[in-house]
Amino acid sequence: MAEGERSPRQLLTIGVVGGLIGIYLANYLNSTTGTAWFSFFAGLGAVLAVFWGADAVRRVASYGLGTGVPSIGLLSLGAGQVAVLLGLAVAMNYSIHWAAPIIALILAAIIGLVSGVMARRVIKMNIAIMERSMMEIAMAASLIMLGFSTTIAGGFGFDLIMKYVVASGFIIAVFIVGGMAMLHPFNACLGPDERQKRTLNLALSTGFIAMLVAGIAAGAINGIQAAVPTMIIAIFGWIIYYLRFFADTKQDAAAVLSTGLLPKEEEVA
Amino acid sequence: MDPQMMVELGALTLVGAAALIAGVAEDLESDVGSQSNPNSQVQLAPQMGYLHRLYNKAISGEPASYPFYAAIGASTALAVLSITGNSSLIGVFFALVAGAFVTSLIHGVYATTSYMGRLASQSRFGQPIYMDVLRTHTPVLMAHGFVANFSVLLLTWVIIAQHFSPFPFVVLAFIWGIALGGVGSAVGDVHLGTDRYYQDRPYGSGVNAAHSGSVVRKAESGLRNSIDCAWFCSKFGGPLTGLGFGLVVYLHFWKEVVVTGWWSVLAGVIIVVIFIIMNTYLERYSRQRYGTYKAEAEE
Repeated sequence: MAEGERSPRQLLTIGVVGGLIGIYLANYLNSTTGTAWFSFFAGLGAVLAVFWGADAVRRVASYGLGTGVPSIGLLSLGAGQVAVLLGLAVAMNYSIHWAAPIIALILAAIIGLVSGVMARRVIKMNIAIMERSMMEIAMAASLIMLGFSTTIAGGFGFDLIMKYVVASGFIIAVFIVGGMAMLHPFNACLGPDERQKRTLNLALSTGFIAMLVAGIAAGAINGIQAAVPTMIIAIFGWIIYYLRFFADTKQDAAAVLSTGLLPKEEEVA
Repeated sequence: MDPQMMVELGALTLVGAAALIAGVAEDLESDVGSQSNPNSQVQLAPQMGYLHRLYNKAISGEPASYPFYAAIGASTALAVLSITGNSSLIGVFFALVAGAFVTSLIHGVYATTSYMGRLASQSRFGQPIYMDVLRTHTPVLMAHGFVANFSVLLLTWVIIAQHFSPFPFVVLAFIWGIALGGVGSAVGDVHLGTDRYYQDRPYGSGVNAAHSGSVVRKAESGLRNSIDCAWFCSKFGGPLTGLGFGLVVYLHFWKEVVVTGWWSVLAGVIIVVIFIIMNTYLERYSRQRYGTYKAEAEE
């Protein structure tokens, strides 16, 4: 870990705590007020989960996964999706509605761990941090899925999610848009001079794009109440972090030229 | 012929045409961005000392990025339809346009991040980021992406409206996105990867590991950019991809419309067998005509 980087533990805390708080706030504020104005909290929670998940992808993929970056991201999203639906169903079955996100998180950890063990012990991918990373990515994925699903449906009840997110088909948009938000930052910044700060600023920017899409989808379900606050926050968040990513790029790149021919060999240090 | 079938055949033609356009636009879009197969070579070039002015857009591979665009477009179109209602045809049309428009904006943003991100991560090799490349290529990508995505949304909508499929709109658009990306990657890349980036190597020799990243960087006049690649591929690779995807979509629904029930599965098997025979014959013919692949001459 280089100087000035955020540690995995710090990011895990941000992702888990931030993600859960966002999802719970959205659900309970919406249900107590009887509106959908607070759906954006779940989106913000999911953006923090993207922040954490992107770093987990970054750590495991820097072992030279290359084209495997999207694969590992989508695999974990699948694990997260199964965990979310199973978690919601288990919570409904035992009438512990409030515990659904936590159950989903634990199930995601188990599924992630199993796929990590399979990857390392059975397929024999020689990556030391495989189990832990798969676990973290699947957990982050479950929070992303649940966060954006809650934004769309207005709450995380099993019936709500089934009716408004699964049956309407938005689940697949949440899956791929959330997945891209998590796997794209490292995939885009792949290379020997990759830097955590730049990658994570990009992660926040893609996370806010995913939140924008969730906001648009929420508009189809809950109308202006859900869509407008979510979309406004997402657009502002995206602008801030895209500009930060751009500033980091200018700082890190060999040169940013408005135009020009290729540098001659003696000009390249 | 009963009227229902006439309508279905009309819808089938529209779906096939939309698929053809989607295929052409998709392939040219991925060529401008050197996505998928050629991407690793463009990515590798600066590391091997070949600095370039090519666009490098890795929004995952095409089979993952196209469902991503299609899902965004379909969600947006549904959100617009939830306001306007889907009773009027022109309303549906504009909703699909809105979906494809929002998608192309997000596509453009993602494309810029991967161009800048990857080149900034290669700073030790001295590869500069050219802002004019970013400014000229991104709108081209977005425009081709718009056409491809609109066509996917249109064909999905026709399929849903004609009750050809039990899936919800967003899921079906996603599935056709995967199919489009898959065809674009499988058919289109063949005509970009080695044809355009390794023009100085004998055809069919494959790329020797020693030549990895040694992409063609100079054009007929001046320096090669990725829009040149789209120009090159628009002659053959793009239309061929369109034909590929158009045939996949058209033949799939043709057998559903014309042959019903379980017989359509049998028809599908027959179509696949015919293609296998045709491909075998074609490969045998070209091997006999042009000989076996030549080994690359030692330099």
